[in-house]
Amino acid sequence: MNAVITIARKEVRDAVSSNWLIAYAVLFTLLALGLSYLGQRNLGSVGFENFSRTTASLLNLCLLLAPLAALTLGSGAIAGDRERGTLTYLLSQPLDRWEVLIGKYLGLAASIALATTLGFGIAGVVIALQTSAMDVGTYILFLALVVVLIVVMTGIGLALSAVSKTRAQALGLAMLVWFVVAFVFDLVLIGMVSATSVHGGGLLAALLLNPIEIVRVLAIIQLEPDLQILGPFGSYLMERVGRANATIILSAALLMWVAVPVTLASWLFESREA
Amino acid sequence: MEAPFAVSVRHVSKSYGSTRVLDDVSFDVRHGSCVALLGGNGAGKTTSLKCLLGIVPFEGAVEVEGVPVRSRGKDARRNIGYVPQIPAVGEQDTCVAALSFIAELRRVGRDRVGWALETANLTAQSEMKVGELSGGMRQRLAVAAAILSDPPVLLLDEPASSLDTHSRRDLHEMIARLRGEGRTIVLSTHVLDGLEQLADQVLVLDRGRLAFAGSVGQLSGRVRGNRFVVNLNGNSPSDFMSALLVAGIPAERVKPAALPWEEMLLAASAPDPATQAERS
Repeated sequence: MNAVITIARKEVRDAVSSNWLIAYAVLFTLLALGLSYLGQRNLGSVGFENFSRTTASLLNLCLLLAPLAALTLGSGAIAGDRERGTLTYLLSQPLDRWEVLIGKYLGLAASIALATTLGFGIAGVVIALQTSAMDVGTYILFLALVVVLIVVMTGIGLALSAVSKTRAQALGLAMLVWFVVAFVFDLVLIGMVSATSVHGGGLLAALLLNPIEIVRVLAIIQLEPDLQILGPFGSYLMERVGRANATIILSAALLMWVAVPVTLASWLFESREA
Repeated sequence: MEAPFAVSVRHVSKSYGSTRVLDDVSFDVRHGSCVALLGGNGAGKTTSLKCLLGIVPFEGAVEVEGVPVRSRGKDARRNIGYVPQIPAVGEQDTCVAALSFIAELRRVGRDRVGWALETANLTAQSEMKVGELSGGMRQRLAVAAAILSDPPVLLLDEPASSLDTHSRRDLHEMIARLRGEGRTIVLSTHVLDGLEQLADQVLVLDRGRLAFAGSVGQLSGRVRGNRFVVNLNGNSPSDFMSALLVAGIPAERVKPAALPWEEMLLAASAPDPATQAERS
């Protein structure tokens, strides 16, 4: 376990020294502040929106950007090291392969999560100082959900990295997966619901197949349980099992979305050449 | 009980897809000796070292200090310090940080970092970033990383291939010193130059097969006549021929090398067209 922590710490140090972590944090700060400011302007006054409105605005943006960052950075982890020759060197140390993989995974996920919370944290402090309405709990809950999504998507990126021969191939696969889960998935399901008699269990299964959709529904259930904005999957879930059980089901599904890709990545990494 | 050999390789074969990279290779390395694996590009040198490290699947058996690498790779690697062809420690790290990372992985105290830097004659560069080091310094840093946990066996993959003559001599001296301290050394190389003082035994790999095993002297005796193999490093053969003619060497004394393995040893590794100028 010591080796896992050592490798994870090295990943975070590398992320900080390569500056992408800082750039990512700055980007999220600016986006959060910009959305909050523009949201208030649209309401007819100048200044920052309070946390609840900002959180709602940011949710959709985060459901697009956080998976993109996590997938692309995760996809570069193993394939990039393999190309640079650093993977062989790391494996030449007295380590098990799973230690290398899990160490890199934890370090990468922690780096992206750190950049995200740092970015939104700074924005949160600025908004809190500018507005009177303090809904900090909502904002923190939203941040936690984004971090969970990052953890899930980094694992999927890692599995793509383990299966790819080159970094370019891994990046291409990551972009494809992001496009499917962020855009195509919803469109296909909406089409299926309209054209066929998919409902009930089918809807629930469809919801659980897409981690972005799971986090979106989980976020709305926790932050603003309004059936109208839950969409067909979330509405079905709430009506059938209630808020508490829906939370449990969705959380369990997210756990599976962490465990399955990381286990798959580990198996692929064990079975492939260095 | 000490294993009879520091490294024991038995009937090792390895394929990448349909390409046979190693074909039934067997050899032993005595404790405290230095063995050079020689061969051109694609001969199987790097793959051999990867098999010794147990980081690629292969057929056959390898033991390092009596530990089978296929079933107990992690334990076997505790006995091995590895120096890659291209130093692969973090470019952004300082020398101290890079070695501290390896020290943590190998569970040795931080005090060893200073010792390893001193051994590699890099104490003055300890706070320099790895990316700012010269090629020779980087290679010495890689050796420092390899000896941090004081492993009995060192594997060096073409450690001097990208170094100038001076840095190569420094590195060879360092390797000789480490060998003098009782370590077993296996190094891969494509040049005989400088091995006379370093290697007790030479193993020549030719297209994945062990083509020769013996001393440097025995190997040198097999290279017939007084000849030179010249790597053109991408320059045009006709320019080279013109230069030879200007130097007074007639064209009939120059012929493209057939490059049997004895002569290939003397050639540089790059897959550029090689030309052999033969002196009669």
